[in-house]
Amino acid sequence: MHSPRFLLATSGSICLAVALALAPASARADETCQSPYLPKITGQEEFVYVWTLGVEGLGDGEDKLVTIDARPGSKTYGKVVHTASVGGRFEAHHGGFNDDRSQLWLGGLDTSEIFVFDVRTDPGRPRLVKTIRDFTRASGGVVGPHGIYALPGRLLISGLSNDRDHGGRTALVEYSNEGKHIATHWNPTSDKPFGAARGEVADGYGYDVRVLPRKNVMLSSSFTGWSNYMMDFGKMLQDPEAMKRFGQTVVLWNLHTRQPREVFQVPGAPLEIRWALGPTHDYAFTAAALTSKLWLVHVDRDEKWHATAVADIGDPEQIPLPVDISISADDRLLWVTTFMDGKARAFDISDPFHPRQTYEKEIGRQLNMVSQSWDGARVYFTSSLLANWDKKGDDNEQFLKAYAWNGKELDQAFAVDFNAEKLGRPHLMRFGSASLYR
Amino acid sequence: MIVRPARSFLWVAPAIAAMAGIAAGQAAAAEIGAAGAGAAGADPLRDERAVTRIVAGALGLPAMAQPPGGPPAAGLVALGRRLFFDRRLSPSGTMSCGMCHIPEQGFTSQELATPVGSHGRSLRRNAPTLLNVAWVTPLFHDGRAASLEGQALSPLLAPDEMANPSADALVARLAADPDMRQAFVESGSEIAIDAVVNALAAWQRTLVAGGSRFDQWRFAGDENALTDEERHGFALFTGAANCAACHTVAPDHALFTDLMFHDTGIGVRADLAAASGLQVPVEIAPGRTVLVDRALVESVAEPRASDLGRFEVTGDPADRHRYRTPSLRNVALTAPYMHDGSLATLGEVVRFYASGGVPHAGLDPRIRPLDLAESDVLALVAFLESLTSPDVAALVRDARSVPVGNAGP
Ligand code: HEC
Ligand code: HEC
Repeated sequence: MHSPRFLLATSGSICLAVALALAPASARADETCQSPYLPKITGQEEFVYVWTLGVEGLGDGEDKLVTIDARPGSKTYGKVVHTASVGGRFEAHHGGFNDDRSQLWLGGLDTSEIFVFDVRTDPGRPRLVKTIRDFTRASGGVVGPHGIYALPGRLLISGLSNDRDHGGRTALVEYSNEGKHIATHWNPTSDKPFGAARGEVADGYGYDVRVLPRKNVMLSSSFTGWSNYMMDFGKMLQDPEAMKRFGQTVVLWNLHTRQPREVFQVPGAPLEIRWALGPTHDYAFTAAALTSKLWLVHVDRDEKWHATAVADIGDPEQIPLPVDISISADDRLLWVTTFMDGKARAFDISDPFHPRQTYEKEIGRQLNMVSQSWDGARVYFTSSLLANWDKKGDDNEQFLKAYAWNGKELDQAFAVDFNAEKLGRPHLMRFGSASLYR
Repeated sequence: MIVRPARSFLWVAPAIAAMAGIAAGQAAAAEIGAAGAGAAGADPLRDERAVTRIVAGALGLPAMAQPPGGPPAAGLVALGRRLFFDRRLSPSGTMSCGMCHIPEQGFTSQELATPVGSHGRSLRRNAPTLLNVAWVTPLFHDGRAASLEGQALSPLLAPDEMANPSADALVARLAADPDMRQAFVESGSEIAIDAVVNALAAWQRTLVAGGSRFDQWRFAGDENALTDEERHGFALFTGAANCAACHTVAPDHALFTDLMFHDTGIGVRADLAAASGLQVPVEIAPGRTVLVDRALVESVAEPRASDLGRFEVTGDPADRHRYRTPSLRNVALTAPYMHDGSLATLGEVVRFYASGGVPHAGLDPRIRPLDLAESDVLALVAFLESLTSPDVAALVRDARSVPVGNAGP
């Protein structure tokens, strides 16, 4: 299954370069997949911050924020220029910036810590300035701070689990930029749909949360609880009970009131949500990990919202496991990474109802996150999914790989071997630049 | 921007709610997000009532062997309940006893065949229910613990469960926590490992759940408590199907276990499955199962840990793959079944027996193919479902009358 296959660039991968040059000057988003409330890096990112999971016996064994120099021409281009360890292993996973992008908040999915880094004072050397250790208690029982998303003056944190059974029922939690708990909004369930339409199918699970302010809506997706995401992946695949405990829904919320409006059935663990960026593009993509399907959430002329399956990703029978997606600034291309076959796939999404795969490349034996620069010319990948889900033995490659994308082909620019450098398992990437603060 | 306060919602696994007849409103304490809900609405006589359950027992159960020193003080029961649900009992702050023995899930884990412990470590065996655990001896599927007091240290110290490096380290951590110091003072105990295990044992003994419809019928003379089908199931259970040979029913009570160790074939079944079969069925969405190459599954799997059952305790080859007969009381609430959680429903269990278990050299001779009609299978399942105690809902409320303990400032 590791045979490199380059299935390629059919007529479809048209004029991407032209399209990219015309990228909208919208100020609503940053490097294509961030909160609309953030300042963005439209030029060259200077640093890539990588939230990295410690591995017992490797280096200091601790979770750490790794900073990689991404400045072409710099003496340390493509090298690790800084690491900041956080004192243990907490299942480093996701995180996000606050609204003025001075802080990067990073969550630990096992023990529910949140680490707050100052990335403004010295963008090349992020500094840990605060650790929130009582997230579960303060939030009233939420476990696994996952997506961390900037809203004005505050952060919206989507949980993955709870402290009563380590299952998937969870909540959205709001914290102030200063690190104080503000509110907890439990996700709708069939028992307590909180007035959401089609609440009878609500499962209460969480994963990502993203907003579209001009429509006053917010979407949340659904993964699985602590027991599953902490479990050995092979054990889980063979446990029929565990496999029943995945999110099957996307929830549409009223952004201002934080009331769930409608529950959509999206089977097989819909993970990352990406709103299109064009000012009239009122739709979002999500990929269901287990069923390997791309879904489109869209609004019709009567302001009614729908969720529609629009494409398969690879061969769903082989569980390629799409784990991350990244939309280009012109809404024409969607990168999809699949963990099991280690591939990056490009989909032409100019017609969002009919995404077409135009390119694929095997990046490594396992693959997880993908982040692209605002102009789409640079694409970065990391390898780790979760400590106990990553492949074992030789397949357990751990890397960050940077590529140039010319609209047709990915060309490797540099790679950092996280095993060889004794760093750990690289997961989330975020970009940094001193230009943001000038 | 409008911000609503934290909401809470009912937290009763649908299966339990249905089986134990928990009406929505009844389970007021079983709410998620209700940090501190416990204290406010708690029944002032909660702990005394709990002690009474130890002394009085329940219809269908024999008198409980009282622990040395007699029934515990109410304060010790209260401390035990609190400790049981305190995640600070593990150094990582994630695992309490209650994360694997979940009240709403029949005091076991229904969402997993075998649970995961600290940092996601895999356990080999299914978490048994703690309902009526006071009557279980020896404890564990392989019988390696003699008493509840002796048992409790095991999960506290096991690296794959709560992962305390030592009892002393646990006690030192508890002693450093002002909340905990207060809890021990209120219970009248010193902070010491003996107090921890005694308290946990005391509260677990109060989880008495008898008086099922079967008990009403069998031991209280209520002819109408069981349906014809359920009575037919019981006739098969004690007759043609010979289940009662191991799941014992006495004239004046029924534990539904001989507390002995037997080989039903489940142990070898898991080994055989792992050795054969090139593909693994994986349910990727409700009703959608794909066959995945075993090699792909193994690329992301730890090597499978073997499990030799009672042999691991006695070293006697005759005990290989023998496991303790579990009680069948409240069995409808405790899926999945068997020591490895490999059977999902009671129907699957009965069909497993009907087909003669897994024939191999060590198989218990009482397990043999049964000549059961489909209606007999359904009758046996119906009978097993009549063993659910009406008191479970109250025990869930008792359990959830304390907030989950979490690290805080
Ligand atoms: C990580 C999950 C997990 C945690 C945490 C856990 N248990 Fe268990 N428990 C199990 C499993 C699995 C077994 C069966 C193990 C075996 O038989 O080898 C078990 C067995 C038991 C038994 C024996 C029951 C019987 O019928 O034999 C008791 C009693 C018990 N646990 C109580 C506790 C207490 C008290 C705590 C907290 C100090 C606790 N457990 C913490 C998973 C857990
Ligand atoms: C030879 C003794 C024996 C006989 C006969 C027997 N059982 Fe069992 N039963 C066991 C043992 C031992 C286990 C536990 C097996 C394991 O954990 O792998 C068990 C487990 C079960 C369980 C699962 C309980 C749980 O909580 O996991 C059910 C249900 C059950 N038996 C029902 C029956 C029925 C119905 C019959 C008759 C058709 C029957 N048994 C006959 C010994 C026996």
